[in-house]
Amino acid sequence: MPKLGESVIEGQVARWLKAPGDQVEKLEPLLEISTDKIDTEVPAPASGVLLQILVAEGETVDAGVTLAFIGQPGEELAQPVPTTAAAPTAPPTGAPAASFPADPAPTIAQRPTGRAFISPVVSRMAAEHSVDLAQVPGTGLNGRITKKDMVAFLENGAAPPVLSAQRTSIASSPSAGWALNEDETLHPLTSMRRAIAQHMVQSKAVSPHVTTLFEVDMTATVRHREAHKEAFATRGLHLTYTAYFVMATAAALAAHPRVNSRFREDGIVQSRRVHLGIAVALNDGLIVPVLRDADEKNLQGVARALNDLTNQARSGTLMADATRGGTFTMTNHGTSGSLLGTPIINQPQAGILGIGAIVKRPVVRSAAASLLPSADDAIVIRPMCYLSFTFDHRVLDGAEADRFVAHIKEQLETWI
Amino acid sequence: MAEHNYDYDVLVLGSGPGGYVAAIRAAQLGLKTAIVERENLGGVCLNWGCIPKKSLLHNAEVLETLLEAEDFGFTFENLQVDFGSAIKRSLGVVSRQTKGVAFLMRKNKIDVLEGQGVFQDPHTIEVTPAEINPDAPARTVSAANIIIATGGRARPLPGVEFDGERVLQYRHAMRLAEKPESLIVIGAGAIGMELGYFYSTYGTKLTVVELLDRVLPNEDPEVSSEVAKAFKAKGINLLTGVRTEAVEVSDSGVTVTVRNMQDDSTSSVEAAKVLVAINIVPNTENLGLEAAGVQTDERGYVKVDAVMRTNVPHIYSIGDCTGKMPLAHVASAMGITAAETIADVETLPIPDEKYKFMPRCTYCKPEVASMGMTEAQAKEAGYEVNVGKFPFLPNGKAQALGVKSGFVKIVADAKYGEILGAHMVGPDVTELLPELSLAQFMEITPAEIARTVHAHPTLSEVIMEAAHAVEGHPIHM
Ligand SMILES: Cc1cc2nc3c(=O)[nH]c(=O)nc-3n(C[C@H](O)[C@H](O)[C@H](O)COP(=O)(O)OP(=O)(O)OC[C@H]3O[C@@H](n4cnc5c(N)ncnc54)[C@H](O)[C@@H]3O)c2cc1C
Repeated sequence: MPKLGESVIEGQVARWLKAPGDQVEKLEPLLEISTDKIDTEVPAPASGVLLQILVAEGETVDAGVTLAFIGQPGEELAQPVPTTAAAPTAPPTGAPAASFPADPAPTIAQRPTGRAFISPVVSRMAAEHSVDLAQVPGTGLNGRITKKDMVAFLENGAAPPVLSAQRTSIASSPSAGWALNEDETLHPLTSMRRAIAQHMVQSKAVSPHVTTLFEVDMTATVRHREAHKEAFATRGLHLTYTAYFVMATAAALAAHPRVNSRFREDGIVQSRRVHLGIAVALNDGLIVPVLRDADEKNLQGVARALNDLTNQARSGTLMADATRGGTFTMTNHGTSGSLLGTPIINQPQAGILGIGAIVKRPVVRSAAASLLPSADDAIVIRPMCYLSFTFDHRVLDGAEADRFVAHIKEQLETWI
Repeated sequence: MAEHNYDYDVLVLGSGPGGYVAAIRAAQLGLKTAIVERENLGGVCLNWGCIPKKSLLHNAEVLETLLEAEDFGFTFENLQVDFGSAIKRSLGVVSRQTKGVAFLMRKNKIDVLEGQGVFQDPHTIEVTPAEINPDAPARTVSAANIIIATGGRARPLPGVEFDGERVLQYRHAMRLAEKPESLIVIGAGAIGMELGYFYSTYGTKLTVVELLDRVLPNEDPEVSSEVAKAFKAKGINLLTGVRTEAVEVSDSGVTVTVRNMQDDSTSSVEAAKVLVAINIVPNTENLGLEAAGVQTDERGYVKVDAVMRTNVPHIYSIGDCTGKMPLAHVASAMGITAAETIADVETLPIPDEKYKFMPRCTYCKPEVASMGMTEAQAKEAGYEVNVGKFPFLPNGKAQALGVKSGFVKIVADAKYGEILGAHMVGPDVTELLPELSLAQFMEITPAEIARTVHAHPTLSEVIMEAAHAVEGHPIHM
């Protein structure tokens, strides 16, 4: 690790530009590093073949630490050198490369890589197939990589399908093992934090996320709510905008069942019933109770169910199965002021709808059909809201996704 | 759900080692839990199976030691053997164990509902009074999740009823008033061999009848023959490879007619009593499973997935009534997975291929312990294997004990060293197995076991030697 400045004492390997076995020319870019001061490319200090990489991408090491060896083609390294990748690769040695000599001792070996235990069977398999274990999702206890995970990884180069009750490791980034500095304190994960982390990492790993964005003129909906909220209040019900979004989304799901589905290797599983999960923010975290058969309820029924679910979620009295069985999820992040967000899909569903804050904004209305400037153009002030729909591109394509959101928009803009 | 208002988060049907462990785990995870039981707490295992049996077998071991005392330089005359005390001692152990379960239920605030439970609908169980407490009130309880852990009972021979007098099942055999002069055991599985060993040691003239061609037919063939040798040395008559054709009961005893599967000849054996130990049937009829919509297979076992869910998502099933593997520790492991799944915390699912790695023990003498595949099964599954086998005979501790037979056999994958199976017969091998179970679970190979220093002189050194043998170089051979 080159010392790039007086006060720079460590750096992170951002990316290797060459792989072991590649031919490198002296001064040819070899890797990218990033430090707290500067991000830069490091040129090869010598010509030859890149024999072994000692510091994996994402690892941070002190300046002076050997990063890799460059040598002659076919040259074997005489002594095993520990790498930061957990896999014991073939034992090579040779002339240190990319190192600006200071302390050649590989201190990195003592750094935890965030994975507690690699079994002898797994390490033998990793060595034989030169697998970077950081890439292998573990399904054993505490995310341990088992032989089964290795077999699955070697067969598909991907994770085995994850059972709902099984958890993927959240320590999927090398940052999991970074040591604390004196300005930091560690807050151990609560079980909810851990669950959220696992779900989010797993979701991003499993489905390709795409987000489409619509804006909705909420005038008709606001008018309806203003006209009815008092009558609801006399029945003890708090009529929220969320209720309207639930109604519109549930109807759109019933009309576009392809969205109300999930992906499996053998096909797309469509649900005949619409069970809508609604994200509820808690003090430390988030919970998603499910409103069952949301498409079969009227506004009053939805308002009541929402009142109950949010109260129970906040008081911690939700039934054990209240968060189970959702077929689609909605998150009204607008309630905390956010204009637009790109939420992460709640697995195994096909999509999630994000709702932004309703704010008055100037918009152009025109009686003219043409997009050209016209005397009929007028700037008006309307309560506007962004809807962002994040979907699993394995299940849906853009046009279909847009028709679904358009259906929601249309209902909200024409509410009577 | 908002509109639901159940009495409990989790209701467990049956308090065997599956049910009571599931209930405790659920309660630990903050779920409001109840358990329904029509007999004593603890199920077959604590009342009629593992626990009283282990107590009886220890009596037999003590007796055997006394009978062999001369080898150690003790002679005495007039040894009095009271059979009734053995049964009485076992009942004392049972009573302490079931009280322990009652204590655990109280400690974990689990409601115990005495009576017979029957589904009325997928969330509701009707509990009607049963013999355990005929005065208990009938009641109806509802739960968000239900775990079926109703276990099983002895399977009768077709057309032959258990009468408790001449034709026995394990419940009878566990509590006889006197030792029978002679006994025929049908079925040479673990239960038949264990109870047979007990009675034979107490002086009963024993015949064991087995359809397959060897005793303990689920074990490695070499293990079976080692046990057969020891049983024959005790004067036990072993009839293997014979089908039971008829059981006739008379005033004086029973006559069992068997057909030799090889030459088709028939013969008959007579004894005072016959014990039928041929597997179990699940307790799943009369349970209202239809009302709940829960599916069973054609033999009546409840079908479950790797996290013990039935076809009805909020109904789970564990233990003997699922037909996965009728062992107490398996039922408990399944119970923990079910409870953790309900509570939605991290759990370890048990897919079908994991059951073969569950420990299997037979507590007769010599003891048998195994897990995983035999050499033949591993080859059939497509593995290239290394097998390491080491006898107890040269082991110092075994010699001190006077043990001359038995061995440890480890089957490992030749390529990556994964332990595929372990098969042991000999002194205390049931206590030695966990080292290999842990190694298998953590995917440790024989190389690490061989390099782990084992204390001397202990029986566990034989495991270390067998591990060396897998690597090709046992030390003391
Ligand atoms: C002689 C013998 C020796 C054994 N030895 C061993 C051994 O050494 N090691 C080992 O691992 N296993 C042994 N087993 C097997 C072990 O006992 C079973 O695997 C274990 O008990 C299964 O546990 P379970 O929880 O599934 O069911 P069970 O223990 O059968 O418990 C089920 C319970 O449910 C109750 N029940 C059923 N239906 C209802 C209903 N409708 N309402 C209310 N209650 C109901 C029953 O009364 C019973 O108490 C032995 C079995 C026998 C018979």
